[in-house]
Amino acid sequence: MSALRLISNRTSQQALSNSDYTWEYEYYEYGPVSFEGLKAHKYSIVIGFWVGLAVFVIFMFFVLTLLTKTGTPHQENTESSEKRFRMNSFVADFGRPLESERVFSRQLAEESRSLFHFCINEVEHLDKAQPSQKRPDLESNIHFQEVSRSSGTLEEDLNCLTKFNIPNFVNTEQNCSLGEDDLLISEPPRVSESKMAMPSSHRILD
Amino acid sequence: KNITDFSLNITDCNQVVVPEEVFFTVAAAGILENLLVLVAVIRNKNLHLPMYFFICSLAISDMLGSLYKTLENIFIILCKMGYLTRRGDFEKKLDDAMDSMFILSLLGSIFSLLAIAADRYITIFYALRYHNIMTLRRALVILTIIWTFCAGSSIAIALFSHEIATVIPFTILFPLMMFFILCLYIHMFLLARSHAKKIASLPTSAVHQRTNMKGAITLTIFLGVFLCCWAPFVLHILLARFCPHNPYCACYMSIFHVNGALIMCNAIIDPMIFAFRSPELRSTFKKMFCCAR
Repeated sequence: MSALRLISNRTSQQALSNSDYTWEYEYYEYGPVSFEGLKAHKYSIVIGFWVGLAVFVIFMFFVLTLLTKTGTPHQENTESSEKRFRMNSFVADFGRPLESERVFSRQLAEESRSLFHFCINEVEHLDKAQPSQKRPDLESNIHFQEVSRSSGTLEEDLNCLTKFNIPNFVNTEQNCSLGEDDLLISEPPRVSESKMAMPSSHRILD
Repeated sequence: KNITDFSLNITDCNQVVVPEEVFFTVAAAGILENLLVLVAVIRNKNLHLPMYFFICSLAISDMLGSLYKTLENIFIILCKMGYLTRRGDFEKKLDDAMDSMFILSLLGSIFSLLAIAADRYITIFYALRYHNIMTLRRALVILTIIWTFCAGSSIAIALFSHEIATVIPFTILFPLMMFFILCLYIHMFLLARSHAKKIASLPTSAVHQRTNMKGAITLTIFLGVFLCCWAPFVLHILLARFCPHNPYCACYMSIFHVNGALIMCNAIIDPMIFAFRSPELRSTFKKMFCCAR
């Protein structure tokens, strides 16, 4: 970059030669820099900067890994009825403050809970109002419902979830298949089909 | 190559030189890769979604950065061969234009990353209203606003680069945006963890640790790559403004071309961690290459 031009235009301390503007890789046009009497190594800023950057990235990685600790596998109740599990555990467990979330405020859990509540209300609404009508788009988007509903496909669903990847939440493909990068919520349902959901959504999410 | 014109005290920190071939190769690879992403998104109708438009915006800003470096190298070669004078007016204007292209690339990258993070955030937390909130038209309007702002700022910064008032906001913007993007992703992460916790409570749950580790790795790669590629250059600008005569600062500034090469490597890595993760985009690529044969 022509940062060399930026610097040389500005400085007025040293007596510059005529070549204060050049295309070459020459850099030290703003005068001599004396390297006598250096206490530390001359590349200390370079080394310090890169070491600091590496430490910061590793620290960030450890913080994120700590965030992902989900606790012991059997800490949740294991009822026999799947439906009861689906409804009760979603609501009840979020009422419990998560132990490892001391750092983050309660509001984060609240917001997550609101989304779950909405999804639960969604399914309840559908089950009550139109039991016979199949809503593949909406239901297929709420994968943990499917997981709890069909224990036979539990293994494959869990395997799909293990491959979840934060960036690719939205699955743009029309068929809602559990691809490698899908997360739980793959594609938001179309507007026309969620008209029934609107009242509850506005109540919960707003 | 790094002999100065006039006599100086001998500086121990000589300019670290990166061969021009390396620059050209890295820049060409970056431009080609991002161009491929753009072509794939344009050709496939399924990819005309806000998410992919933001990824395209990132690809454009990466392309601008690599293009800038390529043009600069070409001009240096032309100067050496004598086709261009060093002190002409035309060259100065060209230099200004190229500086602003580079700053545009940096600002475009930052804002595109921010837009991608915000889009994913809305997808997670406002999932069922996503199509209402983020329509195609709104996404295009947002992109227009971002690029207009970046273009204006880059021209202003290039023209007034010697003022402190431009350098300080420029260098504050960088960590601020990074921090904001990190907060968005952490919030998304927490929700994903809650989901995973629910699934983990089912009988077979040995796999959940692997799941979450992958998420942490992905996020670290995102932000780590951006930091490692852009932060050296931002620090360089700070040091050049505030302590150009300090020997330690001078030694840091001698690796300037390595920092430039890092920015071009960022242009190569970004499509891999954003665009190529989408199965739809990958299948579009395969179709493009299979049809071309």
